Amino acid sequence: MKFESKEFIKGIVKENPTFVLALGLCPTLAVSTALTNGLGMGIAATFVLIGSNIIISLIKNIVPDKIRIPCYIVVIATFVTITELFMKAYSPALNRALGIYVPLIVVNCIVLGRAEAYASKSSVSNSIVDALGMGFGFTLALLLISGIREVLGMGTFFGHKIMKGYEPMFIFALPSGALLVIGLLMGLFSLLKNRKT
Amino acid sequence: MNIGQFLAIFISAVFVYNVILSRFLGLCSFIAISKETKPAIAMSLAVMFVTTMSSIITWLIYQFLLVRFNITYLRTIAFILVIATFVQLVEMIIKKISPPLYRFFGIYLPLITVNCAVLGVAVLNIDMFFINGKAIAGSFYYSVFQGVCVGVGYTVAMLLMSGIRERLDFCNVPECVKDFPLAFIIASIMSMSFMGFNGFKL
Amino acid sequence: MNKLIVSYSPHLHTNESAAKIMWAVFISLLPAGIAAIFIFGLAALWVIFLGVISAVITEGLLQRFNKKKITLTDGSAALTGLLLSYNLPANSPWWLVVIGSFFAVAIGKQIFGGLGQNIFNPALVGRVFLMTCWPKYMTNFMKPLNTGINFFSSLHYDALTAATPLMTVKEGKAITGISYWDLLLGKHGGCLGEVCILALLAGALFLLIKKYISWHIPIIYIATVGLFSWIFGSKGLFSGDWIFAILSGGLVLGAFFMATDYVTSPLTRKGQVIFASGCGILTAVIRLWGGYPEGVSYAILIMNAATPIIDRYTKNRIFGR
Repeated sequence: MKFESKEFIKGIVKENPTFVLALGLCPTLAVSTALTNGLGMGIAATFVLIGSNIIISLIKNIVPDKIRIPCYIVVIATFVTITELFMKAYSPALNRALGIYVPLIVVNCIVLGRAEAYASKSSVSNSIVDALGMGFGFTLALLLISGIREVLGMGTFFGHKIMKGYEPMFIFALPSGALLVIGLLMGLFSLLKNRKT
Repeated sequence: MNIGQFLAIFISAVFVYNVILSRFLGLCSFIAISKETKPAIAMSLAVMFVTTMSSIITWLIYQFLLVRFNITYLRTIAFILVIATFVQLVEMIIKKISPPLYRFFGIYLPLITVNCAVLGVAVLNIDMFFINGKAIAGSFYYSVFQGVCVGVGYTVAMLLMSGIRERLDFCNVPECVKDFPLAFIIASIMSMSFMGFNGFKL
Repeated sequence: MNKLIVSYSPHLHTNESAAKIMWAVFISLLPAGIAAIFIFGLAALWVIFLGVISAVITEGLLQRFNKKKITLTDGSAALTGLLLSYNLPANSPWWLVVIGSFFAVAIGKQIFGGLGQNIFNPALVGRVFLMTCWPKYMTNFMKPLNTGINFFSSLHYDALTAATPLMTVKEGKAITGISYWDLLLGKHGGCLGEVCILALLAGALFLLIKKYISWHIPIIYIATVGLFSWIFGSKGLFSGDWIFAILSGGLVLGAFFMATDYVTSPLTRKGQVIFASGCGILTAVIRLWGGYPEGVSYAILIMNAATPIIDRYTKNRIFGR
């Protein structure tokens, strides 16, 4: 299995699914209230990405073109169900925190998007690397947003209080704070990109 | 089954826990399609129709198939298949009876399948109106009504946002926040304002 | 040579410049500020001062950073700062005022492109932001006219707190010891700029006489709240205390000085009527059945968001179309 580092890196910066491709925003904003939640969602989504990319890459030549999207969805849904059951059994607290957004990984644009745009056209090994890269990039974005929201919104870091005498800005624990953070981060990314050119 | 619960569902789905501004369901399509009013209205009506119908169908399937045969863990797969099939069906019907309408919707129709709002409200109905696998009194009516209200909430957010973004086309917004970033910031302010309805009690 | 002027709202065909109007509104708000200092002590002056200065500095810094022309003398940043401070409790901590002002100017105004291009009222954006960030501080109101503490020491003294009349109503308790006259003069707890109705009305009268604002939006807004409160405001129908509803909370401040902002309200008369009624209904609904005791800021912001749509559908018919 050849490890194409370029495929891996692109998922982190140049084609970061969250900040550049603007995919999979629903769960990103919803679960990023705390770092543990962000990490949990990132890992779950990466698992689904890898699993579905592998299977879809394997069956890409057998699936008739007209019904390929429903087929991909079934594959993805299967992996999501596996993840759901696993979470319910081994980390019920995390499952409760992530709520409806675990089953919603099925319609996460990142997963279906990569399946359609990449796994259906590439070899198994490349698909695995792409899934790892995208999953990693997604997880990093989740951690960044969760970090900002947890530190500013609750004054804790992975659940541990880090600042004394800080009055937490409650807005960051709320949806409007999430929208604000991602809007400002996107603006910042864009500003840095413009400054470089 | 009481009037208060229906009102609570309405206020909740449209304002306090607005499907887009608070639950973030349908956010991708919201950011992408709210640039102009006409497509926004078209998408909203289509979504409202699909959320209502899928609420009905998924509830029936859950109650009479999954619960009956004790396979509720297949919920995700079953629901997404139902939704995908239904959207495909709607597409074919619209293409047959009104080709201009079909062309008007364009790519937006198949996109509804992956609209988090549709699967989201189906799952939400089950989580809210079933306890330990048993349907609470009036569960079906609450679920269908919630499907409608989610559509309404989606429409309200889309309509307001498209009006705002159309007007912002005439303003000289700073380059780095053009389009997406500013749309999120506007959504944030709207989300803050809708929070005014928190704790609503008749 | 004739210059073709192409611009967006507000289209003002008077010989008044935007700056003149801004400063006129600023001056018309001063009586309420003076009343606030009288009622709540030096703490109020400190909040007002911080609010205005932070707003002006924020706008200057942002305009310098974006290499735009510095327009601090047009008074709009100062006005935003003043209005925001009027929406805060008199005993707000300094950092709350500064951060709120910064947010109001940066996110409420500059990020849209500056003067004339914002969708939402910047002062209200700031206030709602602060309310969402630190609800405890934003609902911690100072007891007015504290006899026994010195005028100057209100800055440092741990002020006695008092609930606002609307908060008392929301908790289901009856109002005792506050007459309509007390409401007019501002002898009760509340945000520093909203309590003295008489001072606010004096300023509003000045603006109305000078035709800087028209009576439609404020009167329709206030009347709608009064009507709604009269019909639904108490156990039986048609027996609500509409005078209390009109004189309490931030209604007068909001109706005359924030809902009337040219930039964030509709252009046509018909649109303004819709806008004002919408504000009124939303305010009344939140006051009567919502979790918060006061709904003016949320109502106006929601109607600000609806203004572009309202404008779109109430455009004046152009002759020939």
